[in-house]
Amino acid sequence: MKQKDMLRICLQNLMRRKSRTFLTVLGVLIGCCSIVIMVSLGIGMKEAQDKTLAQMGDLTIITVNAPQGGRGKVKLDDSLLRQLKALPGVEALTPKLSLEAESIRLIAGTGKRYLADWTTVVGVDTAALEQMGYQLTAGTLPKRDGEILTGQYLAYSFKDTLRPEGRNMIDRWAGEFDDTGKPVDPPPPYLDPLKQPLTMEIETQNGKVTLPFTPVGAVKEDYSKGSETSEGLLLNMPDLLKLMEKTQGRKGKKPAYDSIIVKVKSIDQVEPVEREIKSMGYPTESMESIRKPMEKEARQKQMMLGGLGAISLFVAALGITNTMIMSISERTREIGIMKSLGCYVTDIRIMFLSEAGAIGLIGGLIGCVISFIASVTINLISLGPSLENLLPAIVGGESVTRVSVIPPWLLLFAIVFSILIGLGSGYYPANKAVRIPALEAIKSE
Amino acid sequence: MNGPDLRSRPIIEVKNVRKEYPIGDETVVALKRINLSVSRGEICCIFGTSGSGKSTLLNQLAGMEKPTRGEVLIGGVPISRLNENQLAAFRQQHLGFVFQSYNLLPNLTATENVALPLMFRGVPKAQREAAARKLLTRVGLAHRLDHFPRQMSGGQQQRAGIARAFIARPDVVFADEPTGNLDSKTTVEIMDMICTFARDYHQTIILVTHDPEMAAYASRIVKLIDGEIVSNQVNPKERLPHEA
Repeated sequence: MKQKDMLRICLQNLMRRKSRTFLTVLGVLIGCCSIVIMVSLGIGMKEAQDKTLAQMGDLTIITVNAPQGGRGKVKLDDSLLRQLKALPGVEALTPKLSLEAESIRLIAGTGKRYLADWTTVVGVDTAALEQMGYQLTAGTLPKRDGEILTGQYLAYSFKDTLRPEGRNMIDRWAGEFDDTGKPVDPPPPYLDPLKQPLTMEIETQNGKVTLPFTPVGAVKEDYSKGSETSEGLLLNMPDLLKLMEKTQGRKGKKPAYDSIIVKVKSIDQVEPVEREIKSMGYPTESMESIRKPMEKEARQKQMMLGGLGAISLFVAALGITNTMIMSISERTREIGIMKSLGCYVTDIRIMFLSEAGAIGLIGGLIGCVISFIASVTINLISLGPSLENLLPAIVGGESVTRVSVIPPWLLLFAIVFSILIGLGSGYYPANKAVRIPALEAIKSE
Repeated sequence: MNGPDLRSRPIIEVKNVRKEYPIGDETVVALKRINLSVSRGEICCIFGTSGSGKSTLLNQLAGMEKPTRGEVLIGGVPISRLNENQLAAFRQQHLGFVFQSYNLLPNLTATENVALPLMFRGVPKAQREAAARKLLTRVGLAHRLDHFPRQMSGGQQQRAGIARAFIARPDVVFADEPTGNLDSKTTVEIMDMICTFARDYHQTIILVTHDPEMAAYASRIVKLIDGEIVSNQVNPKERLPHEA
């Protein structure tokens, strides 16, 4: 038999019992929808999780600390920097050293009006900052000696000395918070530290050092890189070392860094690189320790949801088998006639398998369309039902967290799975049909 | 499979065929020891009352059932020993069927039904349906080409059935009580038609019936009683078709 004839016969037979075919297809459709929507919710959950993590900080950052808190023999020095730089998968790195002092005060404004009682001052390799993924919220990266960067929210550390004590600071955390725990629209600070000269007052046992400096940019807050990105100051490492000489008199000493921040090329390289550094004997920290269990949990949830969906598709498979058995017992005589007219056994098998497969295919296709619409609807409801949200609801976006995410592979998988379910559930009935003898044609009714 | 040798030897040879059916604990012998040969071009009537074993014999001849003992050769091919696929191929090439209850497929039109044996052979749709329409016109159903079986009378359905049996130009056509469900006027029409086709193409017909009227059309009558051939003779008063 020609394939075209086979297809025609198959469709004709499906159309004969429209309501039965429809109900069977409906079963597959529901099964397919439940798989796709369940899995898409799981993927959406994971996507939201990844976005939350990414907001907390750069996921590709590993912080290397000195063993025994830096008091041991092994220090973080320049030779280690070179060693780490050579590791495969490492994109960039910077040493980090914070200025130790009894107090560091910042003064700004005419007549020392604005005063920050405390801040952290950290030395980094400013040349590597861009590669390290430090982002600027304002200004530029420092290019000359003496230029420094502030944390994103440094301005909130200042108090207005002309206002009464207790009401002279702006609390960035007073307002509302969004889903990720960040304050929404904090009130504006008293000043913009980038727009005026600042003075730093450093007090140590050795006395007091006062020096002016010019901030040229503000870096975006990133917890994975350290608290100085939110309310501190970032200096170029040589500048910091000079400053330390001045305040502590540690002249000519080789620098031992507090920590080294390593950026790897991609998320999946975090784990091997981190393991490598650990094996060298240095304690490390990264978001990986948070991300891994979260990812595992998300995968478990996904499997669970997908499994629930799969159950309904398996129930649909029973429906297909039932429909096919019914249709074969109705068509026993026909099968006998076809055999007595010289239809090959294989053709009869293919005929019934393709009917079952077609039920799966149709159910899968319609199921995919419906689950796509359902997914967009869910997203639209969560984003707020308006026309400009339609596109983000379908394709997502940088700042959009979708509840339900359907990647193309999921649709493809659902269709293939539905066809396989159809073929699988048609297997037994088709074998049954094949065994019907040609003699059935002659038997009188 | 080699092409059957159709000329020199009888087209159908039945050798020592015995058929038993187990019914419960007992065994019923339906055919005792049948020997029969039919030449090409004969219209052979297997005549007997119900229970005589005539239908069982037809089943053996057409390869629907395997005999308990003995063998059936059609054109020299031992069809009682073919497997399912060989049998399907053999039926496509050499056998045609006319059934008592017409057995048209209910969801196909007359044309599609008649074209069915050609479809199983893999003949393209346009070609096979043209052939089917031509043959349907010949059996007088030019006005019923696209009708479904349920829209046709019994006589019309059987005419389509005959067209289907002959469309692939088979060597042997088996007709099992082809007019059993028809009135006497239609019976005459149908029998004329079968015999005309057979004579035109020099085809062999195996006609199974219990009706002496129909046996009259045959060139040879084989009488069967209790699973045994009691007489096998050429019909001296063979009734010829009224017209072609």
